[in-house]
Amino acid sequence: MEKGGLGLEITELRLGLPGTEKMMKKRGFTEMIMTSSGSNSDQCESGVVSSGGDVEKVNESPVAKSQVVGWPPVCSYRRKNSCKEVSTTKVGLGYVKVSMDGVPYLRKMDLGSSQGYDDLAFALDKLFSFHGIGVALKDGDNCEYVTIYEDKDGDWMLAGDVPWGMFIESCKRLRIMKRSDATGFGLQPRGADE
Amino acid sequence: MNYFPDEVIEHVFDFVTSHKDRNSISLVCKSWFKIERYSRQNVFIGNCYSISPERLLRRFPCFKSLTLKGKPHFADFNLVPHGWGGFVQPWIEALARSRVGLEELRLKRMVVTDEGLELLSRSFVNFKSLVLVSCEGFSTDGLASIASNCRHLRDLDLQENEIDDHRGQWLSCFPETYTSLVTLNFACLEGETNLVALERLVARSPNLRSLKLNRAVPLDALARLMACAPQIVDLGVGSYEDEQDSESCLKLQAAIRKCTSLRSLSGFLEAAPHCLSAFHPVCHNLTSLNLSYAAEIHGSHLIKLIEHCKKLQRLWILDSIGDKGLEVVASTCKELQELRVFPTDLHGGGNTAVTEDGLVAISAGCPKLHSILYFCQQMTNAALITVARNCPNFIRFRLCILEPHKPDHVTSQPLDEGFGAIVQACKNLKRLSVSGLLTDQVFLYIGMFATQLEMLSIAFAGDTDKGMLYVLNGCKKMRKLEIRDSPFGDAALLADVNKYETMRSLWMSSCEVTLGGCKRLARKAPWLNVEIINENDNNRMEENGYEGRQKVDNKLYLYRTVVGTRVDAPPFVWIL
Repeated sequence: MEKGGLGLEITELRLGLPGTEKMMKKRGFTEMIMTSSGSNSDQCESGVVSSGGDVEKVNESPVAKSQVVGWPPVCSYRRKNSCKEVSTTKVGLGYVKVSMDGVPYLRKMDLGSSQGYDDLAFALDKLFSFHGIGVALKDGDNCEYVTIYEDKDGDWMLAGDVPWGMFIESCKRLRIMKRSDATGFGLQPRGADE
Repeated sequence: MNYFPDEVIEHVFDFVTSHKDRNSISLVCKSWFKIERYSRQNVFIGNCYSISPERLLRRFPCFKSLTLKGKPHFADFNLVPHGWGGFVQPWIEALARSRVGLEELRLKRMVVTDEGLELLSRSFVNFKSLVLVSCEGFSTDGLASIASNCRHLRDLDLQENEIDDHRGQWLSCFPETYTSLVTLNFACLEGETNLVALERLVARSPNLRSLKLNRAVPLDALARLMACAPQIVDLGVGSYEDEQDSESCLKLQAAIRKCTSLRSLSGFLEAAPHCLSAFHPVCHNLTSLNLSYAAEIHGSHLIKLIEHCKKLQRLWILDSIGDKGLEVVASTCKELQELRVFPTDLHGGGNTAVTEDGLVAISAGCPKLHSILYFCQQMTNAALITVARNCPNFIRFRLCILEPHKPDHVTSQPLDEGFGAIVQACKNLKRLSVSGLLTDQVFLYIGMFATQLEMLSIAFAGDTDKGMLYVLNGCKKMRKLEIRDSPFGDAALLADVNKYETMRSLWMSSCEVTLGGCKRLARKAPWLNVEIINENDNNRMEENGYEGRQKVDNKLYLYRTVVGTRVDAPPFVWIL
């Protein structure tokens, strides 16, 4: 991840299809939130996720309140296992669903508790007790599984390309997929070096 | 009574089982104290630091069942840091050294280790029942010890624990000759399960009544399990994902139909929206339903299921059921006694959350309702007053409005009058949690009317010390008081030090109490352990010259004890 030294603005161009105008989309979502009171909640939610920063300016208090430790009083076991902690006002951090092909259950993990892709690899290995995921993240082409994630626009991207901070901000869910199934899945291209 | 031989008195005492009653009997006279001591079978210790294992054994040498609770309730909400305490190891070691014939151990919010479980499994020949609730610190290796060594085990009940799952073979550690299983609950285990071992275990357990699976047990396995345990009374479905293979579904439906004794259904930790219809045939017998982890199931499916559940007494559900769904509950479930409605979205973003209308509907439709836990986004005084009028029988009333300080959304007034109506009408109220915008007035009402109140949870409420004083002075039966983010300070804390001897514990975090105030309290009441849980820089508070007036940013937890300061406190806990 040599891109660590570069400013985010440069790397932002690499997200999603080339040519999509991310900045304009962000404003669009903010406008949607301001005008949609009680309209399609799905839109509202994804709008909140993708423009986390903007929402904070629009609606300051819910963010502050939601960051109170231990509130609402839902016990931590229950939080991990059922409540939607992702999206709404936490900017990218929180629990995301992780699925692995061939495994009959979904898991949830807290992206915020990992420090980087190495940490994530380790955590994923532990989650499914399978020691190939970490290799997949680092090595790319040499193993049976690929790790992909759904970003805030609903596109599926290969994990590991973008800087960590950007990744956790946009990742909505993770999927560990068999490499053989990945071709033809419709993964977004990594973005040409423009 | 004193003219009867001891054996007769003891026989009479056998019919007295509640802890409170047995405690009362033991106070009558020396002879009764002695008889009661030797005959007490079940010991309940609400705070493991209030007494030591040695003193327990001295007083009750012959008990068979022990219940121990460790961390304070707010530990559930991450307010108590890791390592605070609640270690069960010294208890197991002391019991193992003694000659007590332990058969049952129930632990809540305690730290358990694999070594401890192993020692437990090898020390008590007749050990029958292990119930762990919200515990942590152990792994499936510890479970393997229990499975291997406890020949007479009946119950292994793991509820909401943090267990390190080594994906080992703990289930296959139950010997082939072992057939006495009655309860098996491993829903909180995260990893894969040895399905073959599980099926064989269930097949050779004719007394199995309660089976709660984890999320790694897929549909076809569930069908096979239910087919070999049609006598099941309490079932926790692990995972019920959409299956293309309809044969599995049909097999499951056939198996479910044979489970005529099924009364309690829970789990659905990973559930496809359409799965509930398989259970419709057994709904008319269900008395308990817990769908509070089934976030994937839409309200409409929940409602379709509930429409069949006319005998339901206990319902735990997510707010995705909506007010309309609660109206269906109100018109269908006339036997309902306990309702819990949990939030799907912790930050109040969803449209499907429930409102005060749902609560009112339930109160109007369910005459036997006595316990409620209700998370919602909004409330009104009018609704609470109506609820109080409809339901004067509440024993437990916990209302959580998701946004702190939120007033009555129609009148913008505090919710003092609403809660006041609840405490005035519900003469048997033992547990109360309040929320929303509240002034000292609500505490005046609580102090005046909640005469039976034993546990009170306060958050983001009140204006001055008077609020807390009303409660401390008025609620004579108060046992556990927990307060966070409320403006109560030293004056309230110190007003009546002797009050704390009548209570199990007091928790105050992010309030206005100061370190100096806590120190004064500790000096006045040596029979209390006054703990400050200090997560910030440990030394700052003492070093700077303002220490007496420094607010306790951190947490105050005090409790009565007969054994003085505990020795296992970590460095960030100061015991004053």
